[in-house]
Amino acid sequence: MSAAPNRRPFDVGRAAYLTLNALLLAFLLLPIAIVLVFALNPTPYISFPPVGVSLRWFEKFFGSAEFMNALWLSLWVASVVLVLSIVIGAACALALARGNLPGRAVMTAFFMSPLMVPAILTGLALFQAYLLSGIGRPVWGLIAAHTLVAVPYVIRTTLAVLHNFDRRIEEAAAVLGASPTRVFFEVTLPLIRPGVFAGGVFAFIVSFDQFPVSLFLVVPKGETLPVVLFNYMKFDLDGAIAAASMVSILLALSVVLVLERLIGLKAYVKL
Amino acid sequence: MISRRKALRTGAGLAAIAAVGAPSILHAQTKTLKITTWGGKWGEVMKATVLPAFEKEFKCTVSADQAFPFLPKLQVSSKNDPIYDVLHTNSNEQWNAVVEGLVMAKITAKEVPNIADVYPYAVSDKIVGVTIFTSAIGLGFRTDKGLTKPTSWKDLADPKLAGARGGYLIPVNSLGQAHLMMLGKVYGKGLTDLDAAYKALEALKPIKLVDFTGQMEKMLLSAEVSMGVIHDSGVYRYEGANMQPVDFASPSEGVLALEQVLNVTPGSKVKELAFAYIDYMLRPDVQKLLAEAVWYSPANKKVKLEAKYDAKLLTTPEKVATLIQPDWKWYNARREDIDARVTKILKG
Repeated sequence: MSAAPNRRPFDVGRAAYLTLNALLLAFLLLPIAIVLVFALNPTPYISFPPVGVSLRWFEKFFGSAEFMNALWLSLWVASVVLVLSIVIGAACALALARGNLPGRAVMTAFFMSPLMVPAILTGLALFQAYLLSGIGRPVWGLIAAHTLVAVPYVIRTTLAVLHNFDRRIEEAAAVLGASPTRVFFEVTLPLIRPGVFAGGVFAFIVSFDQFPVSLFLVVPKGETLPVVLFNYMKFDLDGAIAAASMVSILLALSVVLVLERLIGLKAYVKL
Repeated sequence: MISRRKALRTGAGLAAIAAVGAPSILHAQTKTLKITTWGGKWGEVMKATVLPAFEKEFKCTVSADQAFPFLPKLQVSSKNDPIYDVLHTNSNEQWNAVVEGLVMAKITAKEVPNIADVYPYAVSDKIVGVTIFTSAIGLGFRTDKGLTKPTSWKDLADPKLAGARGGYLIPVNSLGQAHLMMLGKVYGKGLTDLDAAYKALEALKPIKLVDFTGQMEKMLLSAEVSMGVIHDSGVYRYEGANMQPVDFASPSEGVLALEQVLNVTPGSKVKELAFAYIDYMLRPDVQKLLAEAVWYSPANKKVKLEAKYDAKLLTTPEKVATLIQPDWKWYNARREDIDARVTKILKG
C-alpha cells in the first residue's frame, strides 16, 4: 500500500491570516522601499519611475557639513536622552508601582501627560519658559525637553514589566541576607531590564526623530537633523532628503539591533 | 550659477573693501547680531561669504537663524529683548509683525543710507521695513508639452491643463495668497475683488497643490505639472544644472512681487548694528553676489549684473514697473475668512 501524500488541506483561515500579515508588512515597509528608490534615483527631483541608480544623494548628504553636524548633534542628544529617560523613567515606574503613593493615579496621568499634549505646544511652552527665565536655548534645554517627552515611554514599558513581577523573588533575596541595594541591583533590575531598555529604545528614537519640540528650541548652528531636513525641504527638495531619511531609518534600526544583541529585547516580547 | 571660486573672490573683495573703505555707520565691538535668514543656496552664500565679511568689517558675530518659523519665535520672546535684531521674511509676515509692534513701521535713508538708491517699490506704502530683493511671481511651464508660452494669467485656466496645473495651499503659502489676489484683478475689479477670485479659483480645479515653492519647482522639473504659479528665481536657478525643458513667463497683466524684506525689531539692543547690516545688504557688491547666486532681482538701482542675469531679472525702471505689490495689510486682516473659503473651494 502506498503512503498517502502528507498534504495539508487548504486552510482558508490560515491563508487569510497570511495574506493579512503580508498586507500589513507591505503597508509598513513599502514607504521605506519608496524612500530607498528616491534616494538612489540620480535625478535632481523626486520622480517615479527612477531613471538609474546613483549614490550622488548619499554623497551630498555625507559631504555636507550642515547635515553631518546635525546628524551628530541628533545622535548625541538622543544618546543622552536615552540614559536620562532610563534612569528617570525606571525610578518613576518603581515609585508608581510600589511606592503606595497617595494620588498615584493622578501622578501616573501627570507623568504621561507629555504624550497627550501636542508636542508642538510642549516645544512652544518650553521655549517661552526658557526665554522668560533668561536661560536662552542651551543644548541641555533641548535635552531636557526631549527627555520630558521620552520618559513616559520608559515608564509605560517598565510598568508593564512590573505588573507581572513576582515580588517573592525579592523577598527571598532579602531573607537570605541581601541588602536592599543588592536586591535592587542583583534581582529587581535584571528582571525589569527588558522593559526599561525597550522604553530606552523608544526614548532614543523619539529623541532622534523629534521635530515639533526641537523646532523652537534649536539655535543657529545647533540644529538637529529633523529641523535641518525640514528647512532644507523648503528650498531644495531633492534626493538628499531621501538619502537622509534612509540614514535615519538605518541608524534607528541599528540601535534596536544593537540593544537586542546586548540585552535581548526578545525577553520583553515573551512576557 | 555662481561658482565657489567666484564667491570666494567676491568675498575677499568685500573684505578688502571693508578694510580700506571704512563705513560711516558703525564699527561695533564684539557684539552679536541676531538675524533670520533663508536656507538653500542663499544660506550657503550668506554663511560662506556675506556674513563672515560683515563680521570682519563690523567686528561682531552674527547669529543667523535658518530654522522656521521665525515670527512665532519673535512673538514669544520679550519685546524689550527680542530673539532677533533683524527679521528677514517675505512682505506678508512683516505686516503681521508690525501690527503686533514686533518690527519697525518704516526704515529711512537716515538710518540706512543705501535706501537712497533703491527702487521705489522697495520702500513703497506696501512695504514694512525695506525690500532688499524681489522675485517676480508668474507662470512656470514645460516647453515640451505642446504649450504656447503663456501671456496671461488666464492661460493657467486652459482646459488642456486640467490636472496638470500647479498651485499652492493658500493658507500656508504667500505665492498662493498673492495669486488669489491676482485672480481678483484678472477676472474682476481688482486685487481685492475676492468674489471674482474665488470664482476663478474654482475654475482652476483640478489643480495640484503644494506647500512650498521648492515642491512646485520639482513638480515642473519632473513634469508632474505642465504649468504652475512660481517665482522667476524658482525656474532660473536651475539654469545649467539640468536639461529639463522648463521656462518662466511674465503675464501681460503684470507679475506679482515676492519681496525679501529686512526689518529691525524695536527692542533690539544693537539697533545701530542692525541698521548697518541692512545697509550692508543693500550695497551693490553684496546685492550683485546674492542676486547672481539665487536669481533674485536686486532692490538697489546701482547694481550692474552680468548680461545673462540682467536679461532676465528686474533691473531697469521699465521692468520694475511690471511689478504688482499686493496689499498684505488688507489681506492679513481678512485672512481667516479667506482661509476658510479657499479651503472649502479646493477641498471639493
